[in-house]
Amino acid sequence: MASSVLICDDSNMARKQVIRSLPEELSTDVTLATNGLEALEVLKNKHIDIMFLDLTMPELDGVGVLQNLKDNNLTNCAIFVISADVQPEMQSKVLDLGAKAFLRKPVQVDVLINHLQEHGFL
Amino acid sequence: MSGLETYCAEITDKLNCGILLLDVDLKLVMWNQFLEVHANKKLAEIAGQSIFSIFPELPQRWFERKITSVVQLGTPSFCSWEQRHHLFELPHTRPITTGSEFMAQNCTFSPIKRNNKIEHICILIEDVTDVCYYQSMLKKTMNDLALSNRIDGLTQIFNRKHWEDCLAQEFAKARRHDHKISLIMFDLDHFKLLNDKYGHQGGDRVLIDIAENVTSMLRLGDIFGRYGGEEFAIILPETDIKGASELADRLQKSINQADIIFQKNCIKTSVSIGVAELDKAESHYESLISKADIALYKAKSSGRNQFCVYE
Amino acid sequence: MPFSLDEDQLDCLQELINVAMGQASDQLARYLDTFVFLKVPNIELVKAEEFSKSLTGDNQSTAVVSQGFFGYEGIRGEALLVYQHKDSDHIADLLGYDPDELSDEEQLIDISSILTTTFLNVFARQIDNQLSYNAPKLLTSEQDSMSEYLDHLSFSWDIALKVNITYQVTDYSFNCDMILLIPESAIIDIKTVINRILEAL
Repeated sequence: MASSVLICDDSNMARKQVIRSLPEELSTDVTLATNGLEALEVLKNKHIDIMFLDLTMPELDGVGVLQNLKDNNLTNCAIFVISADVQPEMQSKVLDLGAKAFLRKPVQVDVLINHLQEHGFL
Repeated sequence: MSGLETYCAEITDKLNCGILLLDVDLKLVMWNQFLEVHANKKLAEIAGQSIFSIFPELPQRWFERKITSVVQLGTPSFCSWEQRHHLFELPHTRPITTGSEFMAQNCTFSPIKRNNKIEHICILIEDVTDVCYYQSMLKKTMNDLALSNRIDGLTQIFNRKHWEDCLAQEFAKARRHDHKISLIMFDLDHFKLLNDKYGHQGGDRVLIDIAENVTSMLRLGDIFGRYGGEEFAIILPETDIKGASELADRLQKSINQADIIFQKNCIKTSVSIGVAELDKAESHYESLISKADIALYKAKSSGRNQFCVYE
Repeated sequence: MPFSLDEDQLDCLQELINVAMGQASDQLARYLDTFVFLKVPNIELVKAEEFSKSLTGDNQSTAVVSQGFFGYEGIRGEALLVYQHKDSDHIADLLGYDPDELSDEEQLIDISSILTTTFLNVFARQIDNQLSYNAPKLLTSEQDSMSEYLDHLSFSWDIALKVNITYQVTDYSFNCDMILLIPESAIIDIKTVINRILEAL
């Protein structure tokens, strides 16, 4: 069965960059969210295997989403953070909060594929 | 060297500014003719030496940190004569007609990449002695001008316009911080008679002496100005009516006791003073002036040579 | 309006700026040995007559440093770094200088140049450009003089693209606003670049 994907980013361009980078087998079931609250809402109503999560967003930011999922023990979806905030402190913070990996913006196809392979999605 | 490179080298040597190339260990790689001439050292003899031994006057720690930012961040960095007159002690081309000993400089530090790695730092040194000289002349003139715009030519205290600007500011400050503020206005008694008797020069002498006398009795923050012909005014920040009245009392007595010497004459004079304090309800500083003015009028009509408080 | 950006163009510019800010902050954090907070930058068009107000607003800025930048394809503008008075004590510390090695003014100019050029270098790289910079200049350094300074200016532009970025450094509780201003003729050029990026998506 194909994996279901959620892309959460307030930027249309950033969402498109992720979609464009996805391999074909992951691009059949893609849901979009434009902030953290929307993402949590999607996760409540739909099974999601992989989430690509931005950090700096209005309403609820990416760290808020990770914290919320951790607090509520909702850890069955693999989260890949894709952010412009590449400071080491931020990277280790999101990994501590349960993200599978940290990817720098703008996302690069080969880097994305590598991470997906590493975590058994390809 | 190709033809174009020869041109470039020649042009570099013709430039009227210094070009200096360092490696990341701060050793001199090359410089152009401008620097060779101004530093009076042959490149062949000093290439490979540390920049600090060639220019011992450089602030070493500062310089190293500056270079670190260029190498680590890959960005240019600047050093302007306005903050640091010069970095390198070099002679300049106007030693006779300007006052400065060394060339005023604008320096630009740029990272130079080879194979995507920063291996050199280029320092561009522009001679801005001229700019520096004229800018400081301009600044001095502007300062003089600004000062003369605020000062009353005769008494050398603030003129009315500047004094009122100050009052507006002090008024706003007092309102903002809920502080007290008082005003003293005073007028020379029978100034016209004095002018008739001793002439205008005598009158001027009296105005000058009184301004000096009063200035010596004020605190640092008090603001003293000439309001009109023979009328003066003092802003007293953070002062209530009691403090202002005490000062008015001392001013009145001191002026009354003073002997003003003019052409071997001893002129005696007196002032009438009005005092007012800022009321919580007032929203314009002008009303403070009119209150002090009313009190001043009262002092005059009650026989002069005294102070009255607005109530 | 020839100068206004549509939703996609604005989103693209915002994302380019976010990425530039992120990488610049990372470089800065390493150089200054501290952590830099990222805030979402604010992008708007300002008219010349409203510019002074939008800049001074209610904050009492005490020092403003200006640095011009220019690159290929007509990309150019001016960066203004706006500081609050209380911050100036921390800058020498932050830069790793001894306070007596350089004046307050020089510290401001130094940090300004670092903030501007680090950010703009990353921005330029993303749009395959290369920028050059003027030497930074201290416009005003006394209280309340910013609005006074601006009042004396007559602008040669009617409209500018204004990008407001706030830098906040944790350990030294230092913050400053970096305001990028792109004059109207260069807005057209930047829109061309943005459209090219959007088409490639």
